[in-house]
Amino acid sequence: MRPEDVLRAINEARGEALVVPTMTAVPAWRTIAPDAPSVACVDFMGGASSLGLGLALAQPDRRVVVLDGDGSLLMQLGSLATVAGAAPANYTHVLFANGVYQTSGSQAIPGGAGVDFAGMAEAAGYAFTTRIDTLEELRIRLPELLRAEGPVLVELAVEEAELTPMTAPGGDPLRVQVAQLRERLASGG
Amino acid sequence: MPENEKIPAPLIVEALKEAFRGQRAAPPAAGEPLGWVLSVPDTHQRSVIRELEEDTELRLLTCSTEDEANAIAAGLYVGGAEVALMIQHAGLYASVNTLRGVGLDGGVPLFALVGLLSREPELEPRDSPRSMVRFAEPLLDTFEVPHALLETREDLGLIPEYYALSRERSGPAVVLVGRETA
Repeated sequence: MRPEDVLRAINEARGEALVVPTMTAVPAWRTIAPDAPSVACVDFMGGASSLGLGLALAQPDRRVVVLDGDGSLLMQLGSLATVAGAAPANYTHVLFANGVYQTSGSQAIPGGAGVDFAGMAEAAGYAFTTRIDTLEELRIRLPELLRAEGPVLVELAVEEAELTPMTAPGGDPLRVQVAQLRERLASGG
Repeated sequence: MPENEKIPAPLIVEALKEAFRGQRAAPPAAGEPLGWVLSVPDTHQRSVIRELEEDTELRLLTCSTEDEANAIAAGLYVGGAEVALMIQHAGLYASVNTLRGVGLDGGVPLFALVGLLSREPELEPRDSPRSMVRFAEPLLDTFEVPHALLETREDLGLIPEYYALSRERSGPAVVLVGRETA
């Protein structure tokens, strides 16, 4: 799957969900969903799952979708247990598994393509986990994955992205994103 | 140090509640906690953690790492919740990149109670022979994080004061817990 196609499908299905993109998902998400209620995790790689967990706990009536990477998740792998322990029913963890640290030059992640993230999330205690290999299947199952009682983890077999935060820097600084989304949520948006 | 010089855990929990109430625009809705405490268990503050486990107004969440705690705190803050961290000095050292990325660059008001495990009561933390204790204040100074030392009951007002300070400056503020709690 091309990650850009995945992000378009998620944007079409997301409804009122709050979105936390990280690393290679960030530049494309900025273009595909410029008005989505989002806060990106770039400057503290590995933090997306936890940032999304905090949002989900504070906003239990809103679905929170984390657009995570395999290399990023490995940096805070314990967050799988923390998320499972907190058990947010409104949490969907989308894992873009391309097997590499693309932003830093596409070095293979530890374990390469053989790491079973969906299996690890299931073992940690996520309410539902799955792996999807085709865009067609993802499109069919997305509504269910964004509605199911969480925490949900969906591992996606993806190609490398067209852009990375290094090749396509920009967007609002985190400080601005934090302030804007906090204000938007406070006003019910 | 005599047992009666230690700060009782209920007083620290009450000070956290005072800090949260001072920042809330309205009382919590039904089912909503007054605020969250994110903990990576700290030996120095274990009596407070035990107290929080039984508390009905505050929600305690144990995190796997202090990096996680910083990022979860950011999400809670963005979502409109009140939140404090309870960690150990070792965890402060372990999580300086998220302290920088979330608290300084992200402008998230991270407030943390940081336990100075093994601190010698008769010495200033900077004079400790233990590197874990000695470098805590210089590290916070390097990151331009305001900090204060909690040692006696008279210092409990530092908790709401530094919590409010983190909100005012949109950045981190730390209260170092210099003695084990009772």
